Amino acid sequence: MMSQLPAAPGPAGGPAGHAEAELLASYAAGTAGTVAAWSVEAHLTACEPCRTALSERVDPERLARNRSVLLVRAALGDGGRTMRLLRRCGIPDHLLRLLAATPSLRKSWLLSVLGVLAVLAAEAAAVSPGWTPARVLAGLPRLQHPQILIPFLLVAPLLVLAGVAAAFLPRLDPAYQLTVAAPFSGFTLLLVRAVSALAAALALVVAAAFILPGPGWLPAALLLPSLAVCGLALAAASVMEARAAAIAAGTLWVLPVLLLAGRHLPLAIVHWRAQSACAAVLCICAFVLLMRRDRFELGWTR
Amino acid sequence: MTVELRTAAVSADGLCRRYGTIRALDDIDVTLERGITGLLGPNGAGKTTLLSILATVSEPDAGRVSAFGLDPRIAAERVAIRRRLGYLPQELGYHRHFTVAGFLDYMAILKEITDRRRRAGEVARVLAAVGLEARARTRIRALSGGMRQRLGIAQALLGNPELLILDEPTAGLDPEQRLRFRELLSDLPGNPVIVLSTHQADDIAAICPYVVVLLQGRVRFTGTPASLAATAAGRVWVADQRDTRARLSWRGSDNRWRHVGEQPPAGAETVPPTVEDGYLMLSDPAGTW
Repeated sequence: MMSQLPAAPGPAGGPAGHAEAELLASYAAGTAGTVAAWSVEAHLTACEPCRTALSERVDPERLARNRSVLLVRAALGDGGRTMRLLRRCGIPDHLLRLLAATPSLRKSWLLSVLGVLAVLAAEAAAVSPGWTPARVLAGLPRLQHPQILIPFLLVAPLLVLAGVAAAFLPRLDPAYQLTVAAPFSGFTLLLVRAVSALAAALALVVAAAFILPGPGWLPAALLLPSLAVCGLALAAASVMEARAAAIAAGTLWVLPVLLLAGRHLPLAIVHWRAQSACAAVLCICAFVLLMRRDRFELGWTR
Repeated sequence: MTVELRTAAVSADGLCRRYGTIRALDDIDVTLERGITGLLGPNGAGKTTLLSILATVSEPDAGRVSAFGLDPRIAAERVAIRRRLGYLPQELGYHRHFTVAGFLDYMAILKEITDRRRRAGEVARVLAAVGLEARARTRIRALSGGMRQRLGIAQALLGNPELLILDEPTAGLDPEQRLRFRELLSDLPGNPVIVLSTHQADDIAAICPYVVVLLQGRVRFTGTPASLAATAAGRVWVADQRDTRARLSWRGSDNRWRHVGEQPPAGAETVPPTVEDGYLMLSDPAGTW
């Protein structure tokens, strides 16, 4: 290091191995070039006189400000493993930070959903005659009574809907008034929150469907109905109060499920005809949502 | 001789707002210049309704608002107003699991400060302004009421707003914090338009060059704090005994009765009125609490 070799010139050829006054001044002002700054920093670590000389040149207010910014950045952290992963996938940091205020992405919510799904799946497995993990692993037919799937088929898309509804219902956002008074696009906020809540809940539903004693295609078959129910709620929220929209969408799922269950055809709700209907509903809802997106720009509404 | 033309930065013309049968605002006309305007009035006078309309959070039944020449009825102009706005609602909700720094970071994003470094700088600046630097990592649920109020003030200051709307900002602050708050408002750069509602007449007298008194949804007074105090000139007197003809009486620290009323008795010892006295004289003579 420079200070250990006093005979050697300091950064930018300072006297007796020390940094020149001019260089220290530019470093303190933050105007030194990158290479010069590195050179000074390497020298400072081992040179007490230069550290003292530098401290006299540094604006204490600027130093305090920088310290505060560093403390804030440390307090904010990087959001943990999931956030790091999503950032690496190219999702902007500020959008990820907005997710922190989404109740249906909180650990307690997700654990509750997981608990409900686990109970439903376990109940279906328990009443399924002849179903054992060994038979499942052996690829043997495991579904003998489709009726055992009714509770799961009824509740799973509703859980996804609840997660999405919780992400955009004003009454579940304690800082709603502040959100309204801010310039950030209400529609973007809605989409960011709803899509992330949807993805999290769907992942749990699909995972639970895998351990059900149902047909192997059931996990994939639940995707479209769940998306359609959520799309319907969002599109309906552009024409009516958000809570009423969520309730209406949930009702429109529950009624046909119960109707088909009454006819002993519970799986018809996820068969290809129903899938086609769900795809059509989803397309229409996406169109409505796009056309009426201004309705989600918050405020100046009663 | 030059004449200085002063145009209102923010104005409200003929604002009306009803909640069912209750008329919260009844034909309100207000103009706000740069500087601090105090909004004084009892509970239910319509202060919060007026401020929420000025903050573009709610819409009037009738009337028009203009802020910096922008019309909040037009979506693009509403967003433009919000880019220049700092708002502290009366009932501020928080995500209680957030840390102090996390909440301000979240609010900074909603104010379109998306760059990470700039956001951290802004958060650090407003934390220092309200003296909460040491609490950056504390969860909001662990803060005292006064600290939460300071956090609310901090989020309103993000982005150096040109229009600062503060609904009862000093509620929950102790006397020292109230003095610091006055200092903070006085030091804000750029001479923003500040409108604050309060029940504290001494806050108005101390920092507001302009005051608006709102009673039962109507503007009853606009002017300086001195002129508000002057409305009670000659109608405030002190005596050793309570005078039952006075509208309101209380015993002062000198153990003498201070009376505010329409007509002091002959020979009464009148004293200079305060802003509070002026406000009392404007309020309903039959009013009770």
